[in-house]
Amino acid sequence: MEITIIRKQENIIHFLAEGLDVAFANALRRTMLTRLPAMAIDEVLVLENTSVMYDEMLAHRMGLIPLVTDLESYNLPEECDCEGKGCSLCQCTLTLEKQAGDEEEMVYSRDLSSQDPKIVPALGEIPLVKLAPKQRLIFEAYARLGKGVENAKFQPVSTVSYKYVPIIEVNKDKCNQCGDCVKVCPKNILLVEGDTIATQNTLDCSLCEACVEVCEPGAITIDSKKNSFLFKVESTGALTPEVIVEKSAEIFKERIRLALDYANSI
Amino acid sequence: MIIPVRCFTCGKVVADKYDQFKREIRQGEDPATVLDNLGLNRYCCRRMLLAHIDIIDSFMAFATIPQTEGT
Repeated sequence: MEITIIRKQENIIHFLAEGLDVAFANALRRTMLTRLPAMAIDEVLVLENTSVMYDEMLAHRMGLIPLVTDLESYNLPEECDCEGKGCSLCQCTLTLEKQAGDEEEMVYSRDLSSQDPKIVPALGEIPLVKLAPKQRLIFEAYARLGKGVENAKFQPVSTVSYKYVPIIEVNKDKCNQCGDCVKVCPKNILLVEGDTIATQNTLDCSLCEACVEVCEPGAITIDSKKNSFLFKVESTGALTPEVIVEKSAEIFKERIRLALDYANSI
Repeated sequence: MIIPVRCFTCGKVVADKYDQFKREIRQGEDPATVLDNLGLNRYCCRRMLLAHIDIIDSFMAFATIPQTEGT
């Protein structure tokens, strides 16, 4: 398998993977979604909440905040020596204390103070609740590692998708330069160039085949490359996209090994 | 009540972008370009901001001021 990085932004990575089949590509995608551990707040102890929001709703909002995860220094609770009771190796405490003055005040995720300086909200600008004058909020939240299979809040990615690599071919002999395909293309991939139709940014093609349908002489053919996929991984901020891909490949490999061991033992 | 933290469909964090979205819409910007600039490309995330109505302010009109000890 070969990987070529096409585009990398802070939280998104686009890469081309060659030499794998659909089953493998989808397994990799699903590993990123459901098997890769990430930190999230799992329990909230509300000591005081005089805001207009119910404790449950507030706790739910807390759980959805992506936390920067340090996979090396924390254990999954079920694999921890404390047997999931919650110790400093598998749990991190975050506290929040805020009282509004004479003006109403918004509580943001950056107001959470963490026991571990490495485990902090990935985004500080998430509004949690608005406090009316004199209202008070005090709570303690316990974050732990978890997997996407258990709850979607533990997913380190928001979307992972892959698509086939498009191959667009224009038959010059059949093309009559009507330009209909150029107008109909939603991604602006086709353009008239001289006496034929040229293509640009072909990787953006969504394989909708609108151009094939509109082309009366049947000059355009859209095909997909065998065993190649364009991946797009979008992180929530818990882990960097590179780490997500690397770690999930490791986890995937381990799971294949386990499955093979089991199959061989029968 | 208040802007949901994440997109219901894909799980992208949208709450942190709401303040800026609201501010720019009030200044008369086109919602489509504001959403594009915020990096909300999928229609699931776009509807989260577009279709949201903040009602926490209406609730806060009925907020009770917590009693202090001894009163």
